[in-house]
Amino acid sequence: MAFELKKGLFAIDEMRNVSIKIGKVVEEEEEWTEPMGPTPKPGILELRKWDHKLLERFEPFYAPMSDYCNLCTMGPCDLSMNKRGACGIDLKTAKARLVTIACCIGAAAHTAHARHLLDHLIEDYGEDLPIDLGGDINVEAPNIRTIIGIKPRTLGDLREALDWAEKEIVKVLHATHIGNEESFIDYESKAMHVGMADHIGMEVADIAQIVAYNLPKAEQDTPLVDTGFGIVDKSKPVIVVVGHNVMYSRPVVEYLEEQGKIDNFEIAGLCCTAHDMTRVSSKTKIFGPISYQLRVIRSGLPDVLISDEQCIRADLLEACKAVGIPLIATSDAAIRGLPDVSDWPVDKIVDALVSGKLPGVFLSDPEKVGQVAPLVAEAVFKKHGGERKYRFFETDEDLWGEINKCTQCMSCVFTCPHNLRIDQGMAHAQKTKDLSKLGYLEEQCLACGKCEQACPKNIKIINVIMASNFEKLYNKSGKTRVGRGPIQDTEVRNVGQPIVMGQIPGIIAAVGCINFPDEMQSIREILEEFLKRRYIVVTSGCHAMDIGMLKDEDGQTLFEKYPGIFDAGGLVNTGSCVSNSHISGVAMKVASIFAMRPLRGNYAEIADYILNRVGAVGFSWGPYSHKAASIATGFNRLGVPVVVGPHGAKYRRAYIGRYYKPEKWWVYDIKSRKKMNIEPAPDSLLVAVETKEEAIVQLARLALRPNDTSQGRQIKLTHYLELSQKYLGTLPDDWPLYVRSEADLPLKLKDQLLQILESDYGWKIDWDKKKILEGPIRPFDAGFNPTLVEEVYEKYAGEKPPQ
Amino acid sequence: MMAVKKEDKYPAARRYQVADIQVSREATAVKPNVVVNLVKKAKHPVLVTGGQLLKDPKLVDFAVKFHEKGVPIIATGGSSKALIERGVKPQSAVFPLHYVTQFMLDEEWQGFDGKGPYDVVLFLGFLPYYLSRMLSALKHFSKITTISLDEFYQPHAKFSFTNLTANKEMHYQMLEEVVNNL
Repeated sequence: MAFELKKGLFAIDEMRNVSIKIGKVVEEEEEWTEPMGPTPKPGILELRKWDHKLLERFEPFYAPMSDYCNLCTMGPCDLSMNKRGACGIDLKTAKARLVTIACCIGAAAHTAHARHLLDHLIEDYGEDLPIDLGGDINVEAPNIRTIIGIKPRTLGDLREALDWAEKEIVKVLHATHIGNEESFIDYESKAMHVGMADHIGMEVADIAQIVAYNLPKAEQDTPLVDTGFGIVDKSKPVIVVVGHNVMYSRPVVEYLEEQGKIDNFEIAGLCCTAHDMTRVSSKTKIFGPISYQLRVIRSGLPDVLISDEQCIRADLLEACKAVGIPLIATSDAAIRGLPDVSDWPVDKIVDALVSGKLPGVFLSDPEKVGQVAPLVAEAVFKKHGGERKYRFFETDEDLWGEINKCTQCMSCVFTCPHNLRIDQGMAHAQKTKDLSKLGYLEEQCLACGKCEQACPKNIKIINVIMASNFEKLYNKSGKTRVGRGPIQDTEVRNVGQPIVMGQIPGIIAAVGCINFPDEMQSIREILEEFLKRRYIVVTSGCHAMDIGMLKDEDGQTLFEKYPGIFDAGGLVNTGSCVSNSHISGVAMKVASIFAMRPLRGNYAEIADYILNRVGAVGFSWGPYSHKAASIATGFNRLGVPVVVGPHGAKYRRAYIGRYYKPEKWWVYDIKSRKKMNIEPAPDSLLVAVETKEEAIVQLARLALRPNDTSQGRQIKLTHYLELSQKYLGTLPDDWPLYVRSEADLPLKLKDQLLQILESDYGWKIDWDKKKILEGPIRPFDAGFNPTLVEEVYEKYAGEKPPQ
Repeated sequence: MMAVKKEDKYPAARRYQVADIQVSREATAVKPNVVVNLVKKAKHPVLVTGGQLLKDPKLVDFAVKFHEKGVPIIATGGSSKALIERGVKPQSAVFPLHYVTQFMLDEEWQGFDGKGPYDVVLFLGFLPYYLSRMLSALKHFSKITTISLDEFYQPHAKFSFTNLTANKEMHYQMLEEVVNNL
C-alpha cells in the first residue's frame, strides 16, 4: 500500500490517539544519481587523515605575538622557548589553539550571518522557494554537495547544511577549552575543519540572498557601479550603510522605489553590505572598504548611518555622535548599548533620532529600518539645509593649528600598524607649508585612529591626513563591477581543460581586507600583471572595492579594462565576503564538470584533485579579519595555497613546506601503480610576503601543479621565470625542480637553461637532440594520475596502493 | 663618515610597535663593535636583506659592503635586483623571509650553500612588524643568534640596534662602523 505523505503533522482515521510527524521528506533518489561519497557531513575525525597529509608536507610555522598565555585564571604563564603552561600546553600548541579560535570566530561570523538571513528569508518567502541560480548553473551548491552530500533544491534545504556547520563550529570551539588538545597538528586539523565549515556558511548565505532577493545569477556582464569617496551628490539626503548583511539595507531601497523617491536620495555603503546592495540595485553606490568608515563619518557626508554586523568599528556610535549623525544599529551582534526600539511606531523612532533625543537606536525589524532611515535622512538634511556639520576642519586655520601642535615625539609612529611617518609629514608641513607628505599618507592610512589615542597633544591626526589629501580624496571615484555570484557551468566547461592542463597559467583569487603594506595602488599593479598574462583573476570583498577605485593613466579601472568573464584575462567580481564560496565552489566545479569526479560527500578526493591539478592561488594583499583567516584556512584544506601581505604574518601561523626534503614530496601514480617523488608544487599553503614584487613572483610560482602537461608547465614556467627576472633580477633559485623534460622549458630560454642544468646542476644533456637524459626528479608522463589519498588510489586502480 | 664612538649616546631601546608584544626576554641593544665581534666569531654567518632596500639605496650600499667583507647574502623581498646589479650573487633570491625563517627553524637544514646551519643571522631592510614575527619564531623555536641591523629596536631579536629612526645619520654611521671593522 502506498501513501503519499507531505510534510507536517496529521492523524490517520481508524488509528486513535496516534499521530505521525514527518520531519523531512526524502526526495526521490533518481533526481540525483551521483553515489554518496565516503564523508557526508564529516565530523572532526572523517577528514583528519587528509589534514595530516597536508600538514606533514606543509609544516605549520608559528610566530607568537606574545611569549605568554593568559587565557585562563591558572596563569599567566610564560611559554617562551616552547615551555609549558599551568594547564600543560606548550607554546606551539597554544598558538595553534589561538589560530583555531580565530578560525572559529571567522566561521561563526559567516554562519551566524547565514542563519540570521536564512531564517528571515524563509519567514518571508517560505521554505519551498526554489534554488534557481540561472540557466547555466546545474551544480548549484558545490560546497554543500561536496561536504554535506545533499543537492539543495529549496531555501528550506539549506537549513540542513547550516545545521551541520553550526554543530561543527561548536565542536571545534569546544576543543579549544583548557586542557583538551595537546597536538598542534590536531589543532590545525580542527582549524581546517571550521575553515571548511565557513565555506558552507558563506555558500548558504549567498545562495539564499541570490534566490530570495533576485541578485545577479552568474551574469558575466553585470553593471558597473560608482565607487569611491567622491561618488555622492551632496545636494541629496545621504543614507550610508556599513557592515555585511544586506537584509537591512535592501528594505531602504525597496521602500524608496515603492515611494518613487529612489532618485531623490543617495544610498551608499561601506564594506560588504555595499557590494550586496549594488547587487540588489545598481542605483546604489560603494563608498569604499572598511577603512573608509572614519573618513566617511568625519566628513559629515551621511545624514543617517545604518550599521549591521562584522567588519564595523566598535566605536561607531561615538564617531557618529561626535559629528551629529544618527545611528541605526540593526544586528544583535552589535547592539552598542542602544535602546531596542523595534516595537516603537516609525514616527516615534524618527522623532527621537531627528531631535537628537537619542543619538542612535537598535532596530531589528528590517521593514522598519527601510522606512525610518529615509525619513530620518530627509529630516536631518532639511535641518542643516545641505550644509553638513563637519568636514575634517571648518577652516584652514583649524587645520594648521593642529599641524603646528606637533612636536615630532613619534608616539603616533610607534603605535601606527603601518608605522607611517606622520612625524615627518607634520615636520615637513610646519617648515614648508606643503601638505604633500601628509597627503601621501592618506593612500596608506587605515584610518584606525590609534595615532590619535597616542598623541600627547590630542591632534586630530586622521583629519589632518584626510584634509591634506582633500581634493584627491573628495574627487576619488571609479567603477566596480557588480558582484555576479557563481561561475556558470558552461564557463567551467570551457576553461576546465586549459586550467587542468596548464594552458591557462592559473587562477588568482584576490580577496579579503585592505591592510595593504603600501599605497592602495599596489593591488592594481599586481593584478594587472596577471590579467595581461591571461591568468583568470577572481575577486571579492574589500579588494574588489579598492580595485574599482584605482584608475590607470587613462582614467580607467581594471573593471573597465577587462571583461567580467571567467576565462583567460577575465576579471570576475563574485561579490561580498560570502561570495567567496563561489571561488572555492568553482575549483570544485572544475573537478566535477571537467573531470567528472563525483562531488557528493567526497571532499578528500576533490581537494586532492585540486591540490594536484588546479593552479588556483588565493591572494590577500591586505588580510586582517578573523573571517579572512578562516576563509584562507578553508581554501588550504581544499588544496589551494594562499599568499598574504606582510601583515598576514600576524596571523602567527603559516603552512610552509621544505622543498629540500624529498621524502615530503610524493604521490601515488594511478597510471604507473607506483609511489613516486614529485616536484614541490606548490610548496606552501599559506605564506606572507613583504613586497609587491615578491607577491607577484610567489603567485606565479604557487600556480605550478604536479599534473601540468608539458605545454602547461612550459607556459607556467615562462611566466614564473620572466616575472622573477623582471622583479627579482634573476632566474628563480628553484626552477630546475619543476623541469621534468626539455619540453617543460620556456622556448626562448631553452638553450640557456639546458646549459645551466648541465654546468650548475650536473644534469646529462644530449645536445644533438637537445634532450635531457638525466637529472629531473621524475620524468614527464602524459598519463600521470597523481593522488595522495589511499582510498582514491584504490577506487581507480582497483588495488591497494604500493608502499 | 664619522664612526660612532663608544661614548656616544644611543637612543633608548624602545619598542617600535608600542603594543607589539609581551616579552620574557628582550633583545640586547647593541653597538656596532658587538655586532662585529659576533660576526667574526660565527661559524656560518649570513645577512638577510629585505624589501626596504628597494626604497633606500644606502641600505643597498651597506649590503654590498657586507658581501665584499665575505658575509654571504640571502636576498628577499626583491632586494636581490639591486644587489645583483652591483655584482652581488645572493645565495637565494626567490624565497620570502617567511620561507627562509621556516628553513632556519629546521636544525637539519644545511643552508642555501649546503655548508650547514647558519648560526648568526643578520637582518637588514625589513618592515618592522613583519621582521618582528620572524624573529619571534626564531627566538622561541631555534638556537640561532639573530641580530637586527634595522633602524628600529626589535625586542624579539637576540641583539638589535636601538631606535634610530629619528636619527638616520646615526643608523648609517653604525652600519658603516660594522662593515669597516669586519
